[in-house]
Amino acid sequence: MSVAANRRRVDPDPAFARAFEEAASRLPGARFPELATARERAIARFVELGIPTQRDEAWKFTPVARLVNRPHAVRPPSEPPLERVLPHLLGGPKARRLVFVNGVLQPQWSHVGGLPERASIESLARVLETRPTAVLEELAEPDQGRSFTALNAALTDCGAWIELSPGTELADPVQLLFLTVAGASAPMSHPRIVLRLGAGARLALIESHVGLEPGPALTNLVFGARLQEGATLAHDRLLFQAAEAAFVGRAEVHLGGASRYEQTTLALGGALLRSESEVSIEGGEVECRLCGLAVPREGEHVDTFVRVHHRAPASHSDQLFKSVVEERGHHAFAGKIFVHPGAQRTNAYQKNENLLLAEDGEVDVKPELEIYADDVKCSHGATCSELDPSALFYLRARGLDAATARGLLTWAFAAELLGRLADPSARAAARRALAARLPAGAPADEEAAA
Amino acid sequence: MATALDTVKDYTEAEYKYGFVTPVEEDRFPPGLDEDVVRRLSAKKGEPDWLTEWRVAALRRFFAMEIPDWQKVRFHPIDFQAISYYAAPRQKERPRSLDEIDPEIRRTYDKLGIPIREQEVLAGVAVDYVFDSVSVATTFKRKLEELGVVFCSMSEAVREHGELVRRYLGSVVPPGDNIFAALNSAVFSDGSFVYVPKGVRCPMELSTYFRINAAGTGQFERTLIVADEGSYVSYLEGCTAPMRDENQLHAAVVELVALDDAEIKYSTVQNWYPGDKEGRGGIYNFVTKRGACRGKRSKISWTQVETGSAITWKYPSCILQGDDSVGEFYSVAVTNNRQQADTGTKMIHIGKRTRSRIVSKGISAGHSDNTYRGLVRILRSAEGARNHTQCDSMLIGDRCGAHTVPYIEVKNRTAQCEHEATTSKISEDQLFYCRQRGISEEDAVALIVNGFCREVMNELPMEFAVEAKKLLGISLEGSVG
Repeated sequence: MSVAANRRRVDPDPAFARAFEEAASRLPGARFPELATARERAIARFVELGIPTQRDEAWKFTPVARLVNRPHAVRPPSEPPLERVLPHLLGGPKARRLVFVNGVLQPQWSHVGGLPERASIESLARVLETRPTAVLEELAEPDQGRSFTALNAALTDCGAWIELSPGTELADPVQLLFLTVAGASAPMSHPRIVLRLGAGARLALIESHVGLEPGPALTNLVFGARLQEGATLAHDRLLFQAAEAAFVGRAEVHLGGASRYEQTTLALGGALLRSESEVSIEGGEVECRLCGLAVPREGEHVDTFVRVHHRAPASHSDQLFKSVVEERGHHAFAGKIFVHPGAQRTNAYQKNENLLLAEDGEVDVKPELEIYADDVKCSHGATCSELDPSALFYLRARGLDAATARGLLTWAFAAELLGRLADPSARAAARRALAARLPAGAPADEEAAA
Repeated sequence: MATALDTVKDYTEAEYKYGFVTPVEEDRFPPGLDEDVVRRLSAKKGEPDWLTEWRVAALRRFFAMEIPDWQKVRFHPIDFQAISYYAAPRQKERPRSLDEIDPEIRRTYDKLGIPIREQEVLAGVAVDYVFDSVSVATTFKRKLEELGVVFCSMSEAVREHGELVRRYLGSVVPPGDNIFAALNSAVFSDGSFVYVPKGVRCPMELSTYFRINAAGTGQFERTLIVADEGSYVSYLEGCTAPMRDENQLHAAVVELVALDDAEIKYSTVQNWYPGDKEGRGGIYNFVTKRGACRGKRSKISWTQVETGSAITWKYPSCILQGDDSVGEFYSVAVTNNRQQADTGTKMIHIGKRTRSRIVSKGISAGHSDNTYRGLVRILRSAEGARNHTQCDSMLIGDRCGAHTVPYIEVKNRTAQCEHEATTSKISEDQLFYCRQRGISEEDAVALIVNGFCREVMNELPMEFAVEAKKLLGISLEGSVG
């Protein structure tokens, strides 16, 4: 390795390896030697890879080591009171749900009963105990130099394994709720979500990551989904971390022919929110829609990293990512559309709009196209500015005071993404969180309507 | 449809017309690079001590640097020790009039379609002819001198205008900027120097014509243009090279400085030998071009038409330091066969109300790869800055690649940035529309491709547009008929 390449990584805090040694024996599935060996290999790999610095192109805008490279505790116990958890239970009264606190499953709030025969929803800890070889296969997936994926493989202890056989439809959504109670212990958790949708299966998934107390914490998620022919997945993601907490998440989604995938991520809180999505379109007639809203403020940093691979002809992908950057907020967006050779008749679009409202905020954008087929329509657009002065003037001329006018325009800009969430209760929760973040809140009549 | 594409291909695949070698006697160093070579080069050119030491310091930095790996272009490692760092047509001394130029060299320029004398009289363009890194002729000098415009070879500038050169050389592109700039700073052999005094509007286009002739060499020229307060200059650059199986390195540095209210317009038609269809040979065009808008209301505009070179890897950039300064970048990059291009621009907004505009058109055919890579950076101080970027790519054939990699970094909320990019092939609807109105398929393709590049071609100065037509193996304007 050359000198230049070395500076792209820093050595992880030795506390990671210590935490692994200390926790290894009590991780689910520890009694299976193959699993234990795989985990040991993974932690060694993490130490070898190190934590990326800003010299690593994929982390160019994000000082991840500064926020993450410090001692954390594995699964510190915590019992938040029900009334603090209740507002985050989404998906309606009939939703199935797994709830975790600092990486530990909370059976009292979880239920996945009454499933059709050909569907299964299991907590990952249970699968680690009952079907370790299945998880082994997942962990053996090459990390491609991603140290956080290796760290997750070493320490993963929570999350879910969801399988729907061909043709199975779940009428009600499934919610995976990951609660972090930071307190004094700086917890870290490494959830892994595995999703298999058979041909024509349908699922609405709500993935929530919520911080209940401010303080250092790390959530390091790996999400992997495979959709067979004609399957549909609506994927709502709510990232409501508390102050000082970091979230590093990677979603890898494989889409078979004529499948439909809609992902909407609302990043509303957390010192660092890094969400990577890598979608691979492997059949024709696929509809893929990725959306996101980030509202960083007060030193928060949101990093959205998207890759869409068109590997088969005649599919469609559409991206819409927005940000409202308030004081000392920082939003980084790197999105790439990759059209592989032979993926003719691809339509791929990407739009990135940023509202920079604060003098000390920062927006960094890198929308990329890499195209190896000629019969395609691909485009991207990116903008960054303050509120449009002529729109402000229009509202002022109609008697609105400056603050109301600004609030109204900001809300209108951001609220477009609320409408992209598939689940109404997720939409309501996101609306509340967004209103709390924007200085003028939600417009009065909208609140009444909600 | 097939016919239409064939038509474009015919032109993009047209044989390189400027691939001949001129048999001139030359004076050259044996291959190799060390401090001694640099000192000998400097001594041969009779340079002052400060420049010799500046070169040596740059060489030390060069040896400490590595070729980066972030670029899209791929090439075999370059053996810097196998290159001869000085090659010049042998002549007793610099000719005093155009009649004294070596007839072989004159014939070369005649063959290229730019006879030195005719050019001078007909086009009214002042030209500096650089043959294997050494300036062989500069036309129209006297006329320019009357206005106080300095237009001469870099070697001459070092002798006659040492203080000006010393003040500005390396001030925009410092020797340690990147590995090729470091190499150039150490071994540059010649180039052009322009100084336009206060308030002078240069009455004619200034032009440099570059020609690589010798084998086993590289070309390392250095251009420095300083536009003093309230002045204006338009500068043109053209280039060709013989066909060879080896890859030759062209690592030039161009520095522009615009003071208060000054404007520099820099146009390039780059037609270095691109290699053959299998990608053998061709020029590695690794050039550092950067302009500094130091003064208030200054303006720098880059226009480039890139059709040649096996690999084009360059980012003509603007540092918008002065308040209300303007940077522009217009580019057409055509790649074909195994050519690779990774080009774009950087706009660094520092001053208040600075504005920049980027228009990039990429056309890829054959097995080529064409990348636009650009940076728009708006610093906290750049109150009210404005940027608009548009990059469009057109693909001809299904084995080529078109890529767009823009970086946008904004630290000031009053700034407005817009970026848009599209990729497509020639629209069948547009073709159909033209055909329906009785326009032949060939003309229709020409019309559409021409329309695709129009915004950039319009920016080329008139005189150059004529020359560009001759120089370009493919002319987008007349690509059919």
